[in-house]
Amino acid sequence: MLDAQGLVKAFAKVRAVDGIDLSIGAGDRVALLGPNGAGKTTTLLMLLGAITPDAGSISLVGHRLPRGRSAAMGEVGFVAGYLPLPDRLRVREALSIFAGFYGMRRKAGDAAVDKGLERFKITHLADRMCMELSSGQRTLVGIVKAILHDPELLVLDEPTASLDPDVAYRVRTGLLDVAANDGTALLVTSHNMMEVERLCERVVFLAAGKVVADGSPVEVADAFGHGDLEGVFLHLAGTVVAEDQIEDLGALNDEGVPQ
Amino acid sequence: MSAVDLPMPASSDEVPFSWLRVRTVVRRHGYVLLRSPHRWFDIAFWPVFDVLLWGSLGAFVAQENGVSRATTPYLLAGIMLFHVLFQSQIAVATGFMEETWTRNILNVMTTPLRESEYIVGLAVGGLIKLVAGMGTVSLTAVAFYSFGLGEIGWGLVPIIGVLLLVGWSTSMLVIGLLLRFGQSAEILAWATTFTILSVSGVFNPVESIPGVIQPIAKVLPTTYAFSAARDLLDGGGIPWADLGWATLGAFVLAGLSMLYVLRMLRIFRARGYVTRYS
Repeated sequence: MLDAQGLVKAFAKVRAVDGIDLSIGAGDRVALLGPNGAGKTTTLLMLLGAITPDAGSISLVGHRLPRGRSAAMGEVGFVAGYLPLPDRLRVREALSIFAGFYGMRRKAGDAAVDKGLERFKITHLADRMCMELSSGQRTLVGIVKAILHDPELLVLDEPTASLDPDVAYRVRTGLLDVAANDGTALLVTSHNMMEVERLCERVVFLAAGKVVADGSPVEVADAFGHGDLEGVFLHLAGTVVAEDQIEDLGALNDEGVPQ
Repeated sequence: MSAVDLPMPASSDEVPFSWLRVRTVVRRHGYVLLRSPHRWFDIAFWPVFDVLLWGSLGAFVAQENGVSRATTPYLLAGIMLFHVLFQSQIAVATGFMEETWTRNILNVMTTPLRESEYIVGLAVGGLIKLVAGMGTVSLTAVAFYSFGLGEIGWGLVPIIGVLLLVGWSTSMLVIGLLLRFGQSAEILAWATTFTILSVSGVFNPVESIPGVIQPIAKVLPTTYAFSAARDLLDGGGIPWADLGWATLGAFVLAGLSMLYVLRMLRIFRARGYVTRYS
């Protein structure tokens, strides 16, 4: 499905990605985690062929990048919480355009659009202008865009960033449904550790451009001596506070602020 | 650690050129045109006013100074042919800029759409706009000045071909600059063709351009295309030499501009500039 070996990417003197190996099998649900600047988005963009690595190799759904980028993208969908859809198009039009980019003829594309909108229960958005969508609606439409062509791998960069919990829940359950019923593999980045624990069976932690942990959420949490992924995240971000330091601060109020 | 199997089917990395995806690019920009009244200014508004401006100027000069009545056709043919160049260039350049304005580049780059399909789609969409724009311009010229580009005769065909090729090539240079320098290079989308307007003798022989600029004019294929149009308007035979230089220059420019935009695309990917638009 995906095999990346020895990926390196530097911007000026900053080594954003420093020798990452990442392999994902069919149907896997994998999270790529790490603090800001760990190299998650750069890694994703390299895996998608949007950024060329300085070193390393990528094989994506059987195609070597960069040469096989176009062929690989026919089997991969991409969603980013921060990316809007073309704002002067209606939702149905925008989705139909992407279906065309995926090589689907108009009738088949329109059928896939209807199916996707129904699946995520957003048919009422079909005739809305993309620029009028809320961030949650935009994310749901973005997922429909990314699954129009029944991809083998769905890559999601911060899909639930800044979403209300109810919308995040819809996104998460929708993704689990896609993974379970279509056999689509998921590669997700997120800063929401609880969400990752519910969505993914495997987590890969990055720090300073390197893979520092790879395993199930429980395995990774145990390896770092924490009860959950949030503890691991705080540990890697360098913001974990030792218990003796907390005692020095005295009692904390309900919001965690020293009284 | 999760066990990962790595099936690597020996499938082809080559994806054939798809006219379906080209048509989809045309449709995508058709929707934008329908929803963006300001875009109609390039097609219907500015060309009409250019024809009125230059046609009136030609008529005035001919009437006041008793000079050749050919002045008006020279100016009208010049500005109408310039619009072939301008509109073929601006349609492709603004088509690409639309993706940057709507932060859609990453969405597009993560589909199977190939760069060549995208560019051909923009060019075909631009041709449709060009036909609409030239239709407007031609109606205006016929209605107010009884002039049509058809007076140039069959020589018009290669001249328009050269101008289209130069327009598309210039748009490649602009896209290359946008890829490399970001949205700060947008102004060049408009500036490049107006630079060509001023230095390639659109209305006048190259000898009337200031001497220091003439060497620049003489290497531009547009100079020979506009010169050929004037010769044809004067009733001369097909100016093969001018057309030959214009065609050769246009193909050289097309080759260089393709090399440039491909190089800028490699830099765009290598330096991660896509994040400017996400």
